[in-house]
Amino acid sequence: MTGRKRLWGWLADAALILYFVFALFPIAWMAILSLKPADQLFSTYFSFTPTLDAYRTVLGDSEGIPFVRFFVNSLVVSVGAVALSLVVGLPAAYASARWRFKGSENLMFTLLSFRFAPELTVIIPLFVLYQKLGLFDTYVGMVWVLQLITLPLIVWIMRSYFADLTPELEQAALLDGYTRKQAFFRVALPLVKPGIAAVSLLAFIFAWNNFVFPLILTSSQAQTVTVGALSFLGGDRPKYNLTAAAALVSVVPPLLLALTIQRYLVRGLSFGAVKS
Amino acid sequence: MTALELRQLRKTYRSRGRPAVDAVRGIDLELRSGELLGLLGPSGCGKSTTLRMIAGLETVTGGDILVGGASVVGRPAQDRNIGVAFENYALYPPLSVAENLSFGLRARGRRTRGSRDDIARRVAEIAERVDLADILQARPAGLSSGQKQRVALARALIREPDVLLLDEPLSHLDAAQRDTTRRELKRIQRDLGHTTILVTHDQEEALSLADRIAVMKDGVIQQLGTPYEIYDSPANVFVADFVGEPAVNLLPGTATGDGHVRLSGTVAFALPLKVAEGREVVIGIRPEDLELSGESGVPARVTAHEPLLESGIATLSLEGVARPLVVLTGPEARLARDERVRVTADPALTHVFDAETGDSLR
Repeated sequence: MTGRKRLWGWLADAALILYFVFALFPIAWMAILSLKPADQLFSTYFSFTPTLDAYRTVLGDSEGIPFVRFFVNSLVVSVGAVALSLVVGLPAAYASARWRFKGSENLMFTLLSFRFAPELTVIIPLFVLYQKLGLFDTYVGMVWVLQLITLPLIVWIMRSYFADLTPELEQAALLDGYTRKQAFFRVALPLVKPGIAAVSLLAFIFAWNNFVFPLILTSSQAQTVTVGALSFLGGDRPKYNLTAAAALVSVVPPLLLALTIQRYLVRGLSFGAVKS
Repeated sequence: MTALELRQLRKTYRSRGRPAVDAVRGIDLELRSGELLGLLGPSGCGKSTTLRMIAGLETVTGGDILVGGASVVGRPAQDRNIGVAFENYALYPPLSVAENLSFGLRARGRRTRGSRDDIARRVAEIAERVDLADILQARPAGLSSGQKQRVALARALIREPDVLLLDEPLSHLDAAQRDTTRRELKRIQRDLGHTTILVTHDQEEALSLADRIAVMKDGVIQQLGTPYEIYDSPANVFVADFVGEPAVNLLPGTATGDGHVRLSGTVAFALPLKVAEGREVVIGIRPEDLELSGESGVPARVTAHEPLLESGIATLSLEGVARPLVVLTGPEARLARDERVRVTADPALTHVFDAETGDSLR
């Protein structure tokens, strides 16, 4: 019995390792690419003298491509989008979890539909609107349009977190003399912190990774890394090592964020244990 | 003095596309100061809705709620000074027991808001009363159900509420904890003298704790009275059936000219009061009011006997009567299946109800 269990354990481990290699292969490939000297890019053997030249070029803005600026833009826009979505979305999620009101389900569904409607279907009208409203190529415009991605995610996921809390917790607070608002901020909100951490990370990654919106709705001022990194492929000949270095650098913020809130993530995923 | 009064209290739930549901249909209740009233009924009878309306957690469709003579309808829950111990305790998981208790005292704008020392003093005081002193620093997750219930009670009491509402306080406890917690609950309520409503579906809980009991069904109070009144003279078939364990024997029959009720061709029981001949009635005889006697009495056949050591439950079949007759026997009873016995009922303890309306004829 135990022998059989152990065998399954090994098989599971082996499968996980296999998947791990498979998943990390593109990143490893890019790392190799970014460390190769420019003249050995297309060689297929792995012995080469590693050089950080590509990173120096990318971070030093030396090819006439303001990568650092793109990077900062990405940070500003993604953090801004998540922050705005939290401010708007948490109360919305709470309200929709606690009360049925006229049209509440339709509202929630409309919000969800933003997620499954392809961005490309709305991008042209949005482009025209943004041009007219002066939102084209601005932080405000980017943060706003990213709400299409981050807001439904935050509202829908947080809604289920709030629904998992027994309403009696807030009702007890009401009876204790707290107002509705205080019951939300002091009772409900602290209990869904793990959920907020998890959903913020997800929303941040989605916002950070978005390509179509910055591609169409920004040019030089508010352009993000996803589009910006592409610039290294343009010009007279594609500079794959620079592109790889740029891509790897742009993986860093989501990765750091995931590592720092990992503790909450695990708790966030094993949530639902609050019920007494 | 009347501490709490309900006047024609009503609650109707309306939702689009569905017929309106009358959860509570005009309830009148008066609680004397310090009284413990048990609101007893099956699930869905409107007892919890009534409780939530008193607490201010549910809007009122019609009628009035008066606390200390003043209407509280329309006032938000936080302005009513009513304490509730919730069925699921509703303890705040990240806070310790002491912090849970002081949580309410720290609410902004609370009349009874005190200084830090004052809060600490009151927490210590209530912890002493409710016997929580040694678990004050524990988190709710680490407590037993009985302890959680005591913390929930203490939290409701610490603000010195005008009215205390207990929602199924013992339903999540195991048998042993239920007995001790019930005794504790009674002692604490007596000591502190809070006007209390206890909502429960468990008759034992209501009978043992309450000064008076209101039996509810379908949003209407069926009977209001002391536990003995409810037990001794149930107002209708529902109350008779709901209160008492094992449940009362309800047997339909026809009244005869000589003061009996005929259940079948050969079976008849004496009636405690005059009933017009030929009237259709239902008699209710509690298992504990029936006796297995040697010679006289109605002949019956034993279909089952469950010895419960200190007593026993015998199920009998009467000739020509579809429903079985349940009899509580003494510990000495030794009954075999298909044994022939005779059973007698004390007419004074026999309840008679109208067959149509179910109301008591007494």
